[in-house]
Amino acid sequence: MKVPLRWLQEFIDLPTTEPDELAFVLTMLGHEVEGFEMMEADWTDVVVGRVDQIAAHPDADKIRVCQVDTGSGPEQIICGAWNFSEGAHVAVARPGAVLPGGLGIGQRKIRGVESNGMICSEKELGLGDDHSGILVLDGQPPLGADFAELVELPDVVFELAITPNRPDAMSLVGVARDLAAHYQIDYRVKERPLNTSPGIPKITVSVEDPIGCRRFTAREIDGVSVGRSPLWVRHRLSKVGIRSISNVVDVTNYVMHELGHPLHAFDADTIVGNRLVVKRAAEGESLTTLDGEERRLTAEDLIIYDEEGPTSMSGTMGGARSEVSERTVKVLMEAASWDPPTIMYMSRRHGLLSEASARFERGVDPNLTDMADARAAAMVVDLAGGRVLEGVIDENPTPIGPAEVVLAMSDVARLLGPGFTREEVGGILERLGMKVAGDDPMTVTVPTFRPDVTRPADLVEEIARIHGYDKFTSTVPLGAAGGLTPEQRRARVLNSALVGIGLHQTVTLPFVNQADLARLGWSDESHLLHVTNPLREEEGTLRPTMLPGLLNVARYNVSYGAGSVSLFESARVFSSHPWPEDPRLPDQVSRLAWVLVGSVGPSILGLETPSADSSVSLALLRHVMAVLGHSDYKVAPGSAPGYHPGRSATVELGGRLIGHVGELSPRALREFDLPGRVAIAELDLEPLLRPAPRALAISPSVFPHVDFDLSFLLSDELEVAALIDASAAAASGLVESARVFDEFRGAGVGEGHRAVAIRYRLRSDDHTLSNEEVAPVRQAMIDAAEALGARLRGA
Amino acid sequence: MNPSSLLDGALADAPATVAGASSLDELDRVESSLLGKTSVIGEVRRAMGSIDPGDRPVVGARLNDVTSRIEALISARRVELELEDEARSLTEERVDVTLMRASFPRGSMHLIQQTIDEVVDIFVGLGYLMADGPEAELAWYNFDALNTPPTHPARLESDTLYLAYGDPKDEVLLRTQTSPVQARWMETHEPPVYVVVPGKVYRQETTDATHLPVFHQIEGLAVDESIRFSDLKGTLEHFSREFFGPKTQVRLRPDFFPFTEPSADLAVSCFACDGGVPGCRVCGGAGWLEMLGCGMVDPNVLEAVGYDPGQVSGFAFGMGVERLAMVRHGINDIRHFVENDLRFLGQFQ
Repeated sequence: MKVPLRWLQEFIDLPTTEPDELAFVLTMLGHEVEGFEMMEADWTDVVVGRVDQIAAHPDADKIRVCQVDTGSGPEQIICGAWNFSEGAHVAVARPGAVLPGGLGIGQRKIRGVESNGMICSEKELGLGDDHSGILVLDGQPPLGADFAELVELPDVVFELAITPNRPDAMSLVGVARDLAAHYQIDYRVKERPLNTSPGIPKITVSVEDPIGCRRFTAREIDGVSVGRSPLWVRHRLSKVGIRSISNVVDVTNYVMHELGHPLHAFDADTIVGNRLVVKRAAEGESLTTLDGEERRLTAEDLIIYDEEGPTSMSGTMGGARSEVSERTVKVLMEAASWDPPTIMYMSRRHGLLSEASARFERGVDPNLTDMADARAAAMVVDLAGGRVLEGVIDENPTPIGPAEVVLAMSDVARLLGPGFTREEVGGILERLGMKVAGDDPMTVTVPTFRPDVTRPADLVEEIARIHGYDKFTSTVPLGAAGGLTPEQRRARVLNSALVGIGLHQTVTLPFVNQADLARLGWSDESHLLHVTNPLREEEGTLRPTMLPGLLNVARYNVSYGAGSVSLFESARVFSSHPWPEDPRLPDQVSRLAWVLVGSVGPSILGLETPSADSSVSLALLRHVMAVLGHSDYKVAPGSAPGYHPGRSATVELGGRLIGHVGELSPRALREFDLPGRVAIAELDLEPLLRPAPRALAISPSVFPHVDFDLSFLLSDELEVAALIDASAAAASGLVESARVFDEFRGAGVGEGHRAVAIRYRLRSDDHTLSNEEVAPVRQAMIDAAEALGARLRGA
Repeated sequence: MNPSSLLDGALADAPATVAGASSLDELDRVESSLLGKTSVIGEVRRAMGSIDPGDRPVVGARLNDVTSRIEALISARRVELELEDEARSLTEERVDVTLMRASFPRGSMHLIQQTIDEVVDIFVGLGYLMADGPEAELAWYNFDALNTPPTHPARLESDTLYLAYGDPKDEVLLRTQTSPVQARWMETHEPPVYVVVPGKVYRQETTDATHLPVFHQIEGLAVDESIRFSDLKGTLEHFSREFFGPKTQVRLRPDFFPFTEPSADLAVSCFACDGGVPGCRVCGGAGWLEMLGCGMVDPNVLEAVGYDPGQVSGFAFGMGVERLAMVRHGINDIRHFVENDLRFLGQFQ
């Protein structure tokens, strides 16, 4: 909300006009100053003058010679405008004046006649577009007065962000009230006396929706002449960002800014049947609003009808049909209080966020309607003439009174600390318009313009706010026994370990493009979790897998020339299955995933750098398991959508499938336009992070080892892991390690077979192994391998 | 010839022969030619038995003397040759160290993760636990339990993403804040409560330089027997100084949130310009940076989880992780965080 300082000063005598200080005070009162604009007159030496005499110019038809008194006797000024007559008060640029654009005014001769200055138009003063004639001033301002004062320049306009709980602060009165409480001074609302004439309105109003319409007050003003508002009204409205429409409409905006109560003026003669009905619309009805838009109404819209149909949208925008126009003679001035949610939904539904809706959705005080309406009616008479009928329409179906809240000083001390006195607390609350009775506890009567204050905690907030948040001391509570859980610590270890071997952690959006799932070969869409109201289609489905996001990041980086892209991320994936932890919610487990493209590891001159592929992915898996202390895991051939079926594996941890590791399928590789081979994996995070059983120390054997190599011929179907397991199992517990150091296919090895060379290391815990002891063990290991179908090579 | 003259001759020839060896291999051959079985010394040693017993001690002593002198010559020469060899290999094996530019690859922790870890550690130091909660959440926890009425504008479809899941009466949505974890935590834990909750939150937002539909927040909650407004202020001052630097000033101003009363917005003094340098790249000259929302936990929130607001009180705060990182590192476009350009990610180690 915009607050011009000069207008605000009508309500309060501020101890300072320093903009920075006021901005700080307003902000510390909870009305954040988003900025302020210093406004200065864009001219010098323009004063009020009176045209005392007008005579024809001897040598020109279109201009006249005026005698203008600016307080020090008549001066002769030539003027080309004709929209004024003798006696008019005007703005005079005296010789030496500088007007907007740097236009200097001097004494000069126009067609041989001397002119001592210029009578200005609004446009020449930069105040508006009106150049149809010169600016004629209303109200006979004193001659010689500085014209800038008439439009309250210089001025400062503060832009306040009013929080949604403060309908009262959407007004100059509300802002003045808070400032008064802060400075411990008074504020005032200037009286605008209303004189009424006998008579009752011809219009009747019936509120059929007492939930939607809390109160409807209206007055009829007869005999108005709709026209332009005086300068001071137009320029006050212009400073708060409201365009002047006409005197009657400007009054509604002017009073709204003063009091925070929006108003609406109907042309009473356009109300068909002289009867207004407030009720919800019928689905499909339509109404053309003031902006010329035809609005299709829904059954939730709260509408004001006359006999012909919808004529105004309550609290958001009036209807074109009952708009006040130049022809309007009879005005119905409405001040109604509407149900905040009704207005909030209606204004958003129709994209009609207005000054009025911003106030109504915060909750306009139903007990303010009559005062606002009377004030507006009185101002209409001031600006547009006419007479206000003494009969008042006032539908108030469910009157509300002020709330009473019992506040104990202990409530204050408990939340704000000791040090507040009953006197200080009472003083603050009373300055905010509350009535305080009793000592401790006190009974606080809260005016209805503060619907946000209903409980002791709300009063405590008011006390803290006016006392000043900056005046509180700082303490730190003792706290409890804090720390990270083992799982949380292990998550950090995991992240650091992956970063330490060259992977970059990513953060991708948790949505998935269904085309990306198709690229991955993901055919089952039945359990995807969808957003019902996505802003864009890309945000319509939550990811069931981490891979598309990571693959797209890889693709992005490759396109920027990265030769090595190693990525990982831990985040949630979603499905429409129930979540085991809370079945009311959809499944949302956390996964660790990685995608590696291009070279992996240090690129040392003269050494070949490995490239990402399934073996790199498996090496990474073993690294992760080692870092997290897991040995109870199993890798077996197995695939999933997007994985290369011949180069991928399932991973079991503690006997439970936790995911897949391997390489991207050739088709997905093409679809995602990635080069070479791509190492991928996706694993359930929770079992990985669960602490592994604590290791019990084993003292290393002090006896020497025996190494020997065995080379087997085996078919592609026989897994090396099975061969190693079987051969080791036959070694009476002596095998310390077994390492494959060669795999060969080709000459001398049959089709569908390979030669695998394994180095075994045997060691005993309690004695030195002799050759005689090792020989039969070696033979038993060979026998066990051959029992699986392998054959010892070179045997 | 008598053995002594033979030995004298061998000794006389030896220095030249040893000096003539120009490599360690040659020296080995010289050694065997001078001291080996077929050498003069070897022959004399073999002939010792046939020497007159009266001469034997003299010849034996001479033999040992000559042998050790020759050995000394050879080992001196060996030291010389080894030094030469070493010097040669040091020259020959020389490399251009400026060519050695490879390093073991180092990845990077995402700046969001780094920021979360850093903030969490500050609060862990104050005795907080870290908690986690579902991202697909019940409207009850995201709104109702947090004193947000059914008619609050945040619940509109224009602000919140709803999910096609489950019983329509249990509205399921993508949480718009990390605050629902407050309610979940309090439901299952007795006071005192000191927790921080980092995580993803979702909003119906159009992506631009300052908005993403998914971003990260860190929520904090302290509920205990005598938590006061000054505790909120002191805790967040401590946090701000740890995170932005020891000179940081903190300003709390009144604000409004449904789940706290009183509520506040916290701003920190600009760490780049110390306040009020016009056109400052970080604060734009304002001198203050708005960092987080906070307040005393609303009694309705305490009641909703079964706590007695007459017995315990608390404070809560919530901050945007992206905002913290953007401010501290001068990042001007929030989309960098989800673009994951390695050239961006790698800058933050």
